[in-house]
Amino acid sequence: MKPEELKDNLAELLGPRLLAVEPFAGMAGRVRFERTAALELFRHVREVLGYRHLSMVGGIDWVDHREVFYVAWSDERKEYVLLSTDVPADDPHLESAAPVWTAAVWHEREAFELVGILFDHHPDLRRLLTPEGYAFHPLLRSFKLHEPEDLEVKTRNV
Amino acid sequence: MWVNMGPQHPMTHGLWNLKVRIDGEIIVDADPEMGYLHRGIEKISEDRHYNEVVTLMDRTCYVAGLSWETLYITAAEAALHIEVPERARWIRMLTDELQRIGSHVMWYAAFVQDIGLMTPFLYGMRDRDLILDLFQSFTGARMTYEYNRVGGVRNDLPNGFTDRARKVMDWLMPRFDEYDALCLGSDIFHRRCDDLGRLSATECIDLGITGPMLRSAGLARDLRKDRPYHRYDQVDFDVATATAGDVTARYLVRMEELRQSVRIVRQCLDWLDKHPGSVLAQELPRWLGAPYAPVGAEGYLLKRRYPSGTGFSAVEEPHGEAQAYVVNTGGEHPYRVKFRSPVFANMSGAKSYLVGYHVADIPPIMGSVDICVGEVDR
Repeated sequence: MKPEELKDNLAELLGPRLLAVEPFAGMAGRVRFERTAALELFRHVREVLGYRHLSMVGGIDWVDHREVFYVAWSDERKEYVLLSTDVPADDPHLESAAPVWTAAVWHEREAFELVGILFDHHPDLRRLLTPEGYAFHPLLRSFKLHEPEDLEVKTRNV
Repeated sequence: MWVNMGPQHPMTHGLWNLKVRIDGEIIVDADPEMGYLHRGIEKISEDRHYNEVVTLMDRTCYVAGLSWETLYITAAEAALHIEVPERARWIRMLTDELQRIGSHVMWYAAFVQDIGLMTPFLYGMRDRDLILDLFQSFTGARMTYEYNRVGGVRNDLPNGFTDRARKVMDWLMPRFDEYDALCLGSDIFHRRCDDLGRLSATECIDLGITGPMLRSAGLARDLRKDRPYHRYDQVDFDVATATAGDVTARYLVRMEELRQSVRIVRQCLDWLDKHPGSVLAQELPRWLGAPYAPVGAEGYLLKRRYPSGTGFSAVEEPHGEAQAYVVNTGGEHPYRVKFRSPVFANMSGAKSYLVGYHVADIPPIMGSVDICVGEVDR
């Protein structure tokens, strides 16, 4: 599927909430969307376009905002698609993809604990790799590796 | 009742904890607890030079270091817009396949020990050593190779390597039949493994499960065929599949993959014999080009601007489908590195393939997942 085809297909569904479809090496395209359209887009991409296999969910901290991206694979088309949206740093909420792709549960737990994205309606939003009660989101740029006082594990009383 | 199996338990290869809720002997719920091995590799990568991240990749998965190196490095090269010489691509394919043999043989050794067969364990460890010897001959290390570089690989294969590797392949091929005879010929093996941990292909797709676990459920999905990277479109091999989707089927798939890997290795060796050449791109910026750039040398520690870009790569790693996402904003360090570990996804579905079986079935089922905790926790 070409980025233009993907754009035509999605523009009909999302309207102005579809921001752009950019070409991306090795993928069908990079779909940029408004976070309010998340669940609708996920459903469409999985059920209509056939990207049934969710491979990866990741977060990037751009300091003034955070980016969340989803990579999904289609067995019929034999290609990946990249879905990406921005959430403000002071309100990092996004609708969870777990009701659409079961595989998203652990990936979103990881994005929550490492980049601090809050997934709404996630069935089980607990920390996965860091200890329970750990007070940081280590992959935020504000978490510095070189400050010795941070090396001590600080935990809230739980 | 919730029972903790781990973090210190013979079934857990690596450090993790499987919490299972049991009703008598039957498992009714399962919740793997990860993170004991979390070293923050993605975070540390943001503070490292592009070539220095390769060092971390060997530690990400300690049984398939070279597969993770090529995974990261192809994404980094895409992000930095760097072309790789043809010979380096073939060497990477060769190392990936040797690594798959090493990893699968290691899995075989650990798995049969899980189900109580001690002799095959020793055979597996013996044969894996031959692969490690090959790695040592061209990387200098048996476990932490640090062989890939942005733009190619560190050094060419030594003289006589291809003949030596061919001898190892000739020796290994009949050993796989021995493995099969030891396991499939054993009644104990079948009683412990048949009809356990069943998953259908649809369940696998929904749970994000890939690799031998997915192929054992009958879906011939292999990135080497579906989305060829390196030069997999130029070699002949078959995708191993089975239909049952149980522990025995996963064993069969991995054994067939070993044979197919030997087939690919032989084709790589033939190609490498005929096509000498450079293994590292010649026109690299100085700070990326020198394999051992002296610290403080011009351009290495200075802030250099480089065209920004985002790189993505997906590799059929021995455990399944691994992905890397590298964001380059023009600095000398990657801005963000994100990895998808196949075992991470395979383990997230633990509840689906454990519930309903007996507690004594846990070692063979979890063994058949081929767990490498290093890459789950990163």
